Amino acid sequence: MEIIHKKKTLTITIKDIVILTITGIVMIFMLYPAYWVFYGSFKKSGSLFSSERFGFTFDNYIKLFEAGFGNYILNSLFICLLAVLISTFIAVMTAYIFSRKKFRGKKWIMGTVLAGQMFPWIILITPLFIVFASLGLMNSYTGMIFIYTAISMPFSIYLLLGYLHSIPTELDEAATLDGCSPFQVLWKIIYPLMRPGIVATATYSFILCWSDYLFALAFLTKTSVKTLPLGLSLQFGEYGADWGAVMAASTVTTLPVLLLFLPIQSKMASGLTAGSVKG
Amino acid sequence: MLFKRKKPEHFFITIMLAPMMVVLISFYLYPTFYNLYNSFTDLSLLGLKQGGEYIGFDNYLRLFHDEGFGHLIWNTFFWLTFVSVSLRIVLGVLLALLLNSETLKKFKLTGITRLSLLVPWATPAIVAVIAWRFMLDPREGIVNQILLSIGMVDKPIAFLAKLHTVWPVVIIIIIWNSLPLVIMSYLAALQSISKTLYEAAEIDGANEIQKFFHITLPQLMPTTIVLSLMLVVWTFNNFVYVWLTTAAGPGNYTNVLATEVFIRGFVDFELGYSSAIGMLMAVLMALFGMFYYRYLAKKEFSEIM
Repeated sequence: MEIIHKKKTLTITIKDIVILTITGIVMIFMLYPAYWVFYGSFKKSGSLFSSERFGFTFDNYIKLFEAGFGNYILNSLFICLLAVLISTFIAVMTAYIFSRKKFRGKKWIMGTVLAGQMFPWIILITPLFIVFASLGLMNSYTGMIFIYTAISMPFSIYLLLGYLHSIPTELDEAATLDGCSPFQVLWKIIYPLMRPGIVATATYSFILCWSDYLFALAFLTKTSVKTLPLGLSLQFGEYGADWGAVMAASTVTTLPVLLLFLPIQSKMASGLTAGSVKG
Repeated sequence: MLFKRKKPEHFFITIMLAPMMVVLISFYLYPTFYNLYNSFTDLSLLGLKQGGEYIGFDNYLRLFHDEGFGHLIWNTFFWLTFVSVSLRIVLGVLLALLLNSETLKKFKLTGITRLSLLVPWATPAIVAVIAWRFMLDPREGIVNQILLSIGMVDKPIAFLAKLHTVWPVVIIIIIWNSLPLVIMSYLAALQSISKTLYEAAEIDGANEIQKFFHITLPQLMPTTIVLSLMLVVWTFNNFVYVWLTTAAGPGNYTNVLATEVFIRGFVDFELGYSSAIGMLMAVLMALFGMFYYRYLAKKEFSEIM
């Protein structure tokens, strides 16, 4: 009884104070920049940098959406959702074959796909620019969906391979003996077990596409098709930019990612280095 | 017999891999070879229709003899990649230990601290750059206001215009944005270390420091190997941080390979020359990946390969 009681009382040691102080500093470093953007987005224009009293307002957001910022959001949503759907679909099929089947040249194909992660994306710009220009895919949703499918695919396959590894192959074998076709094994046995991994992978791809600036910058020049990061950089790039609007635009760009991240955060971290963390 | 049994299986594999192969060929292999071809021409953005003329290795020779080439390589390897990756690895281990410490568990702070890490992690790179650029603004930024008010400086510092502060700023932005990922990965690894290892060490009379160097650090090694590879590749190839923070400036002081590819191609319109720089990047990464995999990471990737 006494021992249990003792454990419950909090004793604060010097070590605790040091650790709490360092943690506090780290948390300020991590949170303050984001807090400042969020706070600034609700502040009255002109008072952002001054020491005037904080005046709460939605003006920045209203101005932003009146200027057509909603259009960037819709573009981003449409392009990213479709790209993620396609790339996750392809990644599930590929990862399943890679993890379960043996075939000639597998090592080479797998090596090439996984090496796609090491690829300097910037060298895709010129060749794709020329191809897109001749196919009329510049400033098109289709072109961007293709590109985002392509850039998120290798990492999705890598992540899914990690998840598939934790599903025992005995399940496939038993299902095959029971007369399931290969498609049925994947769809009825493996897919339901993979679903948490698929959700995490799709979320990751979505965030990757949502945040992309490079490809959007190169292939989207018409305002009507531009995505969020480009819309944001337009606000930011202008000389004498309206800081309040920039902060509001930044908040709008970040919030969806943050909300998506919440449910999958722990899975993401362990999935990234799946091969190396042996539980 | 054997043939008959295998045929439907082969059909299944082909069907399942076909979409991936289409993407791989049209968006990775074909553009790479096209880029290689362009790098031997004098293709210009203004003369796309006529195409470029074959000029042999001229673009590569020009690149290697360019007087800014050494500076470019130094910036990319040392500042952008080496400094930022090693800082993230060291800070990642230390902060994971901090967030995993008994103290935070005692005060029930583990949940909230881990949740806080999500904020910078979920922030898109462009927003991270905007937030920091505003905070470091010479006239109105909070950092200068603090430095002025505690008397550390007499007049505001233009962090992005000064040569000795511009790289540290870029690196701080990269660290802020991607350190949480490193910490979370190390936290996952820390939690998978068996308690019995520490108990055995305690019986042998090991102190905290010995336990760290003889148990924790070696047990974190596989995670470190995979993370370092990913961070090096992501950072080396990264374009947005430098471009959005400094636009390779002041002058071209913070220019790196990725921004040089973009500037040469889409500002100077010299697509052929830009392609040659891109090929150099791809070759460097391929060599790095090959050696890293062969000598360091073979075991770590054995499970999925």
